[in-house]
Amino acid sequence: MAERVFAGKLERAGFAGIWVGGHRPFGIDEAALYPLFTQELIEVMRRTIPAGRQGHVATGVIVKARRPG
Amino acid sequence: MARDLMFQREIQQAVRQAYGAIAGGAGEQVARRLYSDQDLSEVPAGAVEWALGVGNPVRYAMLQPGQRVLDVGSGGGIDTILAARRVGSQGEAVGLDFLEEMCARGRHHAVQADVERWTRFVQGEMEDMPLPDQSVDVVISNGVLNLSARKSRALAEIFRVLRPGGRICMADLTVEGELPPEVAGDQSAWAG
Repeated sequence: MAERVFAGKLERAGFAGIWVGGHRPFGIDEAALYPLFTQELIEVMRRTIPAGRQGHVATGVIVKARRPG
Repeated sequence: MARDLMFQREIQQAVRQAYGAIAGGAGEQVARRLYSDQDLSEVPAGAVEWALGVGNPVRYAMLQPGQRVLDVGSGGGIDTILAARRVGSQGEAVGLDFLEEMCARGRHHAVQADVERWTRFVQGEMEDMPLPDQSVDVVISNGVLNLSARKSRALAEIFRVLRPGGRICMADLTVEGELPPEVAGDQSAWAG
């Protein structure tokens, strides 16, 4: 899910004051540490994702918002 | 519509199977990337070993003593326990997870952390939470919303259980641009 899509879903759910920050790159090497990503998927990612993008296939973010009072 | 619903069930089943099958979390190596030494000193080793998140929402949540916090997708309980430390015994930390075995791990770790008197774990789906309306001050989650095939429904549920003025603080992964179809179509990509 893209960041703007995430924010849009929050807005449509009724949230206000949406803030997205704390961005940090999430690469294949980091994904490989998680048991939920199978070894097969990690190998497919290494084979199909361009080398220059392998260190940043996703972005870890913090999303904050509030329910209007 | 029917095809979409079937796809949702397939995703849900894939996530359940993936989480039910794993023998441990991402462990200390990942936890050290996300949490401070101080944070890790406040939780039992078992909760650290079961860390499966992608950030540290408690660091950003500005929790206050006495608040009621809901941790959606609480897993082994690392964020629930950190939240329990912040809100203290006048507050409450509630962990919600769709797997009873994860709730059991969270309860065990909460006892080890000595926060069990104001911490509880509830089995349930994020898209249909077994919690009353407007009953929570802050909702946190860590790498969980992306697991839902019905993200808008999950967000509507979070909105429902928050009291007016309540806040969310969620860590998750975003992806800009397209992933190769071999990756995007893999079930474990959803689960992870």
